[in-house]
Amino acid sequence: MSTTRDRVDAAIGQGITNALPELDEPDRDAALTGDIGLDSVQIMGLVMEIEDELDISIPVDVLAETQTLNQLAERLTRMIDGDT
Amino acid sequence: MSIFDKFQARARAHAELTGEGPSAIATPIDAVRSATHGVIGGKDVVLAGTNNYMGLTFDPDVIEASQRALAESGSGTTGSRMANGSYDGHAALEQELAQAFGWPSAIVFSTGYQANLGSLSGLADDGDYLLVDADSHASIYDGCRLSKAQTLVFRHNDPENLDRRLARLGEEAKRAVVVVEGLYSMLGDQPPLKEFVEVKNKHGAWLVVDEAHSFGVFGERGLGLSEQEGVLDDVDFIVGTFSKSLAGIGGFCVSRHKELELLRLASRPYIFTASPSPAVIAGTRIALQKIIIGQALRRQLHRNINRLYSGAERLGYRLGSDIPGPVAAIILPDRETALAHWNGLLAAGVYANLMIPPATPAGFNLLRISMSAAHSDEDVDRILDGLSQMASQNTAPELTQAAS
Repeated sequence: MSTTRDRVDAAIGQGITNALPELDEPDRDAALTGDIGLDSVQIMGLVMEIEDELDISIPVDVLAETQTLNQLAERLTRMIDGDT
Repeated sequence: MSIFDKFQARARAHAELTGEGPSAIATPIDAVRSATHGVIGGKDVVLAGTNNYMGLTFDPDVIEASQRALAESGSGTTGSRMANGSYDGHAALEQELAQAFGWPSAIVFSTGYQANLGSLSGLADDGDYLLVDADSHASIYDGCRLSKAQTLVFRHNDPENLDRRLARLGEEAKRAVVVVEGLYSMLGDQPPLKEFVEVKNKHGAWLVVDEAHSFGVFGERGLGLSEQEGVLDDVDFIVGTFSKSLAGIGGFCVSRHKELELLRLASRPYIFTASPSPAVIAGTRIALQKIIIGQALRRQLHRNINRLYSGAERLGYRLGSDIPGPVAAIILPDRETALAHWNGLLAAGVYANLMIPPATPAGFNLLRISMSAAHSDEDVDRILDGLSQMASQNTAPELTQAAS
């Protein structure tokens, strides 16, 4: 049985494929704005894809707290498991 | 290490946009001659990059009322209405706005930006939700940041996507404030308002429509897209601005709920700022009257809009909206082509707007043209001639392949 984190990681992968195909396997420990160079509109598009993949709503505040995809994955995993 | 280091990327991007001639960003306007003509770089230009949809900035009655108020009530209010006194003109304008909608309450803010900041942060607090369209104006996003409510974003113009987000909230959806715009100012596109109304009613949520770019333009009395679509009875709050069709500066929120009045005690962007000057309020009151009875102006505006849209499409350009509206956003393949178009139009005697990421949705590079009821046939001809010259320098397929 897959863990929540596995599902979140898969959803992030699918979100990138759908919203930002040009990224192609980005470093998940790299800063989304600084290292990868995404702008706020691109990040918003990615997040909406992830929301649909996981059927959850991600508050905008969560984005302000997360710099990298792995931080986002950790935060979403906690959110889904109800440990927020 | 300097606190200014973080601006370097922006500064470089800005520098790349400035060459010889006037800058496309914060373009210096040497003189404004009328609602539709000015001088840029020493040259007479048609102003097609303002938001002067009803063309009332030089209306003699608006100017006369402003001048009289300036002489009679002074140049400024020097403070907030709560702390330093509330002028009767401000209250009269609020009453006139409320009457226009047939609703019990309206509040005037000092800018359109503050109208969204003050309305959204005031209406939605801790434990409430703000659900906003992804393409919302910065003032809506900033209103969300100022609010203690949880903010969720739904896909642009997608009622089904909103439906799913409200469904996830369950009973909590009754504490959700949904925010859409009557016209999105970058692409010039409109929301499926009736469908949004159905979704918000289904979940018992609240609906704010920001009619900043649609007030004056749509509806028999110019009240906006909500009036045109016949959904005013289902909209809870309408936010608007004085700085476009109303030809002044300031903003408002009007509501069917008399409890909107309570925001005067709770909305920080309303309380902690100076109220608009008496001259602005007096001019706006006259402009409001003219908009409500402005059917002839609206006919002229929409005639200009239809000429521009059909002309641009004939030239092979792809526009940001299928439905013609006061903003025509020409989608161009890249930043260089967009900048070339901006410069080309200026050379042809037309001032439009260059709009580029991250200010634009979906990474679009846009030439944004805004129409006015005050544009003459010759003005529209000049805009189309400028576009025609640019189109002949490019091949149409390149322009129409303009995905980001």
